Amino acid sequence: MDQPLLTQALDLRAGVEIAHLKKSFGDNHVLKDISMSVKPGSVTALIGPSGSGKSTLLRCVNLLETPDSGTITVGDTTIRAGGALRAAELLALRRQVGMVFQSFNLFPHFTVLRNVAFPQERILGRSKEEAEERALTLLDRVGLKDKANQHPGQCSGGQQQRIAIVRALALNPRAMLFDEPTSALDPEVGVEVLTVMRELADTGMTMIVVTHEMHFARDVSDHLVVMADGRIIEEGDPKRIMSDPRQERTRRFLSAVLDR
Amino acid sequence: MGNAFIAVLMGLPMTLLVTVVAFAIGAIGGIPIMLGLRLRFAPLALLFRFAVDLIRGIPPIVWLFLIYFGVQIGAVRLSAFTAAVIGLGIISSAYLAEIYRGGYSTLPKGQLEAAHALGLGRATTFLRILTPQAMRTSLPSITTYLMSLIKDSSIASTIGVMDMVFLSNQFARQNPTTSGIVPFFIAALVYLIVSIPVAVLSRRLDARMSRNA
Repeated sequence: MDQPLLTQALDLRAGVEIAHLKKSFGDNHVLKDISMSVKPGSVTALIGPSGSGKSTLLRCVNLLETPDSGTITVGDTTIRAGGALRAAELLALRRQVGMVFQSFNLFPHFTVLRNVAFPQERILGRSKEEAEERALTLLDRVGLKDKANQHPGQCSGGQQQRIAIVRALALNPRAMLFDEPTSALDPEVGVEVLTVMRELADTGMTMIVVTHEMHFARDVSDHLVVMADGRIIEEGDPKRIMSDPRQERTRRFLSAVLDR
Repeated sequence: MGNAFIAVLMGLPMTLLVTVVAFAIGAIGGIPIMLGLRLRFAPLALLFRFAVDLIRGIPPIVWLFLIYFGVQIGAVRLSAFTAAVIGLGIISSAYLAEIYRGGYSTLPKGQLEAAHALGLGRATTFLRILTPQAMRTSLPSITTYLMSLIKDSSIASTIGVMDMVFLSNQFARQNPTTSGIVPFFIAALVYLIVSIPVAVLSRRLDARMSRNA
């Protein structure tokens, strides 16, 4: 894995701006007026107790959840929530953003190679040969070229998650979202995934990572956002917050996760 | 015994023809009905749901009688065969639509989300991501349905379709010297011989799919 994961990331990276985002599920106000700014090429870690709204916030960025109000800007695409979304706007936003899920969500009926090649053919209009060549190159960089012709079900969790990262990267996203990418993995397997993410961060990819991995949050992220009860309660330099949290709620959360 | 065997076997092609045509109507007709059941516009989806329940709530034999004796185009009535395949075809499309729908509804939500997150369009997501998986999960139910249809096609004999059961009946009436049970015993054997390969095939497909899942 000598070569970087994404050589062109530097000129493709986009910032993410979230302004006054609100989201409710019935009476449950999951996001209460969230504003957040992610600089191009930076890594933001989103932490907080479960139910704090961090996953919902992440899922709003590529509109897997539709916010009730507020705006989302990725690169030069801005979506204003509240009105009817046009399908074209939706696709324009989603095609700039890659997403990695806790449960991998590879397509079980495709081989590993097709999982990575098929979206490129459909979305970037690449030929099958081009797409598969690119897929093999990327799979090789995460050490999984020999899995190309197997089905996801034949791969371990850590392998599946690396494949999922590659599947998203193959589409040249301008930002990447990670929703607890290691939570479904054994700790020693999670390391494989975190290594790939660390390398991706080094290439200058814009990343927003919802995580419980405090080491990753402290060592890799440039910016830490702590959420609780649908609000951002504290944000700033990860090392500063971890060693000296200003909010009592942050302090409680950190001592709970760090003592585990 | 030999005569009975030949007499019953003469009905096998008709049994198979009724089954295959009705199944084909059902397999194709089930698709639009399944799409109707999945409609996001609730009143219309409810209408499809009502139609499916109506079709499934009336016994097949009653359907065949209603269609055979009730449908008339000008002065021409449907032939017994036409009425049988239309009736069994409509019933099959309702059952298969329900089976297809079940196949989609058991798919993990993450599959749809992953396709959305990648930016795949609605048609591509439905046809290339969801449908192949839904077909795999519903294939065992589809073959089970086919097996029951092979047997249920015998209902067509009640409106005069000359399938195995019709010919068994006829043989029993025309040959009072042979015990009446003989042709039906033979028919039972032939139904088994036809059904078992379908069951074996279905188990093989199932095993192959679970290997790749």
